[in-house]
Amino acid sequence: MTSIPGNGGRNGESEPATRTDIRVTLIIIAVALALWLETTTFESVPTLLAQNIPPEFFPRLVLATIVVLALVLPFEPLILKRHGGAKRKTAPLPAMTWMTAALLAAVAAATAWVGTLASMVLACLLLPALWGERRAMRVIPFALLFPGAVALVFSGLLKVPFEPGLLAPLLGVN
Amino acid sequence: MDPILHGLMLVAQPVNLALILAGVLVGVVVGALPGLSSPMAVALLLPFTVTLDPVPAISMLAALYCAGTFGGSITAILINAPGAPPAVATAFDGYPMAKKGEAGRALGMAAVASVIGGVFSLLVFLLATPWLAEVALSFRPPEYFALAVFALSMLATVSGRSPVRNLIAGAVGVLIGTAGIHLTTGVQRFTFGVPELADGVHFVPVLIGLFAMSELLSQSRTLNVLYERITSVVIRLPSRDDFRKVRGTILRSSVIGTFIGILPAEGSTVAAIIGYNEAKRWSKHKGEFGHGAIEGVAGPEAANNAATGGAMVPTLALGIPGSSTTALILAALIMHGFRPGPYLVQQTPEFIYAIFGAMLVANFLFLGIGLAGAKVFSRITMIPPTFLWPAVFVFSMIGAYSFSGSLFDVWVMLAAGIGGFVMNRHGFGPAPLVMGLILGAMVEERLSQSMIMFDNDWLRFFDSPIVVVFFVLTVVGLAWPALAPRFRRRDTPSEPAP
Repeated sequence: MTSIPGNGGRNGESEPATRTDIRVTLIIIAVALALWLETTTFESVPTLLAQNIPPEFFPRLVLATIVVLALVLPFEPLILKRHGGAKRKTAPLPAMTWMTAALLAAVAAATAWVGTLASMVLACLLLPALWGERRAMRVIPFALLFPGAVALVFSGLLKVPFEPGLLAPLLGVN
Repeated sequence: MDPILHGLMLVAQPVNLALILAGVLVGVVVGALPGLSSPMAVALLLPFTVTLDPVPAISMLAALYCAGTFGGSITAILINAPGAPPAVATAFDGYPMAKKGEAGRALGMAAVASVIGGVFSLLVFLLATPWLAEVALSFRPPEYFALAVFALSMLATVSGRSPVRNLIAGAVGVLIGTAGIHLTTGVQRFTFGVPELADGVHFVPVLIGLFAMSELLSQSRTLNVLYERITSVVIRLPSRDDFRKVRGTILRSSVIGTFIGILPAEGSTVAAIIGYNEAKRWSKHKGEFGHGAIEGVAGPEAANNAATGGAMVPTLALGIPGSSTTALILAALIMHGFRPGPYLVQQTPEFIYAIFGAMLVANFLFLGIGLAGAKVFSRITMIPPTFLWPAVFVFSMIGAYSFSGSLFDVWVMLAAGIGGFVMNRHGFGPAPLVMGLILGAMVEERLSQSMIMFDNDWLRFFDSPIVVVFFVLTVVGLAWPALAPRFRRRDTPSEPAP
């Protein structure tokens, strides 16, 4: 059946799903335990103020539910009697995905310094380049005109606030 | 009758009609573009609707929802790449029809079946919403708690390969919703010393991250995918013979789609797949399925669009989203100061009818736009991803930042995007997480109120027959994925064609 985008399609064919599932289960339990520990640091309040429902009660209930569900995860194929899907593997991530994530983070970080408009230009210049777009005569006009049009519509017409950036005073921009 | 007329008059204002048209255009475009989806478009538009009045804002989003569901069928038929998940089943027979030179016939049928399904569900919406709201007026916190738990349990049955993963993703969403100051005691929870987290995690950046950024990262893996395009398309309205062949299928799928839409958490994708299966099961020409059966296009298209109207019923009448997109519309309602539920229906019925009117107008608009512009919309897929996705990133950044004018929200969006991508890679979809995020606050609030009412005695939940019914349904919902294959084995096998 076609993998449905946004619903967790998994591809590949070489590793038993149970091993991956056990790994996922262990990670979930580790994170849940860490968050449970965090709930122990919540400020304690008098029972009367908490009305018998202390602030850590509900998060702990949810964490416990997550742990129970995670423990079921490796046994899910057995419970659902799915034999066909027993061998599935998550394909390794290509370097491009890591680089894309790093670039997006770098652009977001740069926004504090150079402001929203300049960071949009950066994104429209660097992301196509990273993804292999080599037609400079298309990339450069796109990187200048598209953010410019977006700024005109959103900042100019719709009055959506744009981050001026820390360098704005130095550049004489308000 | 007054509130209905009042609501329709609100929609008929030129500004509102223009925004509905804009919503339809955006919806068809994002629906047609593989990777972009109506939840993503609604998430991106959310922060910009804050400046609008509630009626035009919600009307535009509702119109986008209807049109986005239809838009996916264009690329499903023409390039075998469903623009949106609800169109997955449409490709099973739509693309084989296109390859046989019947793309126009398939597109015409998809548009007409979508409109019939959509209008049918809107009539049900018109009748069922006030009735359901009337019933819900008698609900107290324990009943609401049980209802919300039931809605979360339905995540086990939403599409996706792993019910347990869906439930975990839903629980993670609920957990994220607990961050910030606890309303009863004022205690900070999961703030990790970050002052911005004291207000909790804002919905909008998380939604944009989950739907737009995680998809952008997914796209970075498929930059070299090329689609085979069917170029010569002359759209044809279904002939009388076609209609005779599919009228039963459309009616059946409209009923199925509306019913599935009304079920909490279930959306258009599930409706479309069941609509396809039922079309095949009842067909006299089962052998044609997978090779270009016109019923294989009509069935899922009527069902997935019928689910849109159905999904609005629990969203507005109970405050329980019927699908991931209606979860976002629910977030928009909350942003505009509404509390979706029976009191919204009782106190501002004209608002509910305005949404009905907007969706009705949207259905007829996308019929015209879809029929006239399918060829143009199919060309949208020729926009290189190297330009499309940077543009999505730009909109995401502005959307996340403008919501509260804080760069922290841009980081939240990125974190949600990367987290959503990693989770999606391991089978934890964004839709259940969003449902958990939206329902989490209600679950905790109603649980706390119930426990105070019951003086901490859990057993008193079972004093209410409505609570018991919801708890039984919850157990059935959780067990259904394990039980369903056993039922299917006894029934006629009806798997969709590959």
